Amino acid sequence: MAAPTCKMVARPLRKFLTCVSGTCLQNNAYRRLSLATPGSNVVKSSEPGVHAVSPWKLHGAVCLQRLPVITKDLSPLEEEFNKLMHQMELERSLLSEHELRLLEDAERMSRKQEADYDSDEEDVADQDILTAQDMEDAWEQKRRQFQPAPRLNEPSDMDRSSADRCLGDSLLLLVKQRVGSEELWLLPHLQWEAGETLRQTAERALCSLPGADFKATFLGNTPCGVYKYKFPKAIRTESSVGAKIFFFKALLSSSNPSPTQREAFAWVKKSELQNYLKPEYLNQVDRFFISI
Amino acid sequence: MNYLPKKLQFAFAQHSPVLALAASTFWASVLKQHPVLGTLSPNVRRYRSMPTHGIGRYKYLLPKVVHKKKKERMKMKPIKAGTEVEYGDLNVKVFGYDMTLVEHYSQYVHNLCNRLKIQVAESYALPTKSTEIIVMQEKSTKMYADAMLKTHMRVIQLSGLSVTICPVFIEVLLQNQPEGVELSVKEHTEIDFLRRFKARPELEELKSKIS
Repeated sequence: MAAPTCKMVARPLRKFLTCVSGTCLQNNAYRRLSLATPGSNVVKSSEPGVHAVSPWKLHGAVCLQRLPVITKDLSPLEEEFNKLMHQMELERSLLSEHELRLLEDAERMSRKQEADYDSDEEDVADQDILTAQDMEDAWEQKRRQFQPAPRLNEPSDMDRSSADRCLGDSLLLLVKQRVGSEELWLLPHLQWEAGETLRQTAERALCSLPGADFKATFLGNTPCGVYKYKFPKAIRTESSVGAKIFFFKALLSSSNPSPTQREAFAWVKKSELQNYLKPEYLNQVDRFFISI
Repeated sequence: MNYLPKKLQFAFAQHSPVLALAASTFWASVLKQHPVLGTLSPNVRRYRSMPTHGIGRYKYLLPKVVHKKKKERMKMKPIKAGTEVEYGDLNVKVFGYDMTLVEHYSQYVHNLCNRLKIQVAESYALPTKSTEIIVMQEKSTKMYADAMLKTHMRVIQLSGLSVTICPVFIEVLLQNQPEGVELSVKEHTEIDFLRRFKARPELEELKSKIS
């Protein structure tokens, strides 16, 4: 069966709307990502007649990514360089208004302490009741009241199934699925059915995951990667030589994982992928999973 | 000794027709270019009594320079609509409170587009919006000004973003987004174009008076 997986001509994409927030002021740790593709009518494969039967079974898989929420920690070299640049900038910069005011007030204070101080000589207009130092103290007080959220959360990091671990890295969702006779860690995938696009297969694969509902935004109609494998010789027949899995990228916008079925999911970083995936599968997934 | 001139004569005899042709073309080119000799025909008289008149003329050889007029009114370029393979005009808007981050990120986006051979139609800045935060004091009705926040905006207009590169492009943008900077990708409309201009209250007043 010829799959309507043409990369170019999938859907009419008239309007395209994305709005992403980079700040994490809200409690949800995920970025607001809204993608509107109107004209998202189902494109029926308009090819009546004889389809060439291909010996490859087609699957659509979803590569669900949680983007990093905070910036990564700097490496020691980066830290040093950062300090150096900061110091250079400080030495080259000029005094700001506030700092000038501080200096003036300090000078005025010292003049007041002197014995031969004549207050009539001062410009009355310059003096304020609230000096610059007082303002600084008030600001310092306010700053102490602000508690930033912790960057590193040790217990949450260890829990592989929570999507809140490792806030500085981008994570990929893996599920344990039964393929043939073994249970493997894979990206969620489903068999393609006639009459739908491969992207819809991937969407279905995401929705049909038992136990957790993930709200995801698919980035486009083009698959980002493909993995093909041949069935073992025992199962191989004329009409089914192997399977091809097409991966579609999606970004996580919100999730409410139910407490059950926790062992079935894993959110993994790029460095941990090799512990989960088979080598050839890993090679293909590595090619499109971007992690800085 | 005697052989040398014979050889030379022989050589000249061999090549003389070629030489004659070369000489004629040479003189033709000289006549064309030389201002005085080339225009010896009676229609064009460039020199007066002095044969070297106009010897320093060169400006007629330079390409014609069109002086551009003063700033013309910015006309709106027709907005491209998207096809099935490409998006039309898209506006990538980068905005935030910290100007260094916003500017550096917009520069990064621009450089990324150049590198990926995505055509950048325009790259401009929208005016800064200042937000004043006024806090009400606790247990009183007095309000005092707490802070002044400035939102800086930079827009990069892309035209003809291919559908195949679009997911990769957006993902790279999102992965490299700094903290405190917001990103928005929208289609370019006429309203967006008109937003760049200042409001002219006197003109609007007069217009309303007419109608």
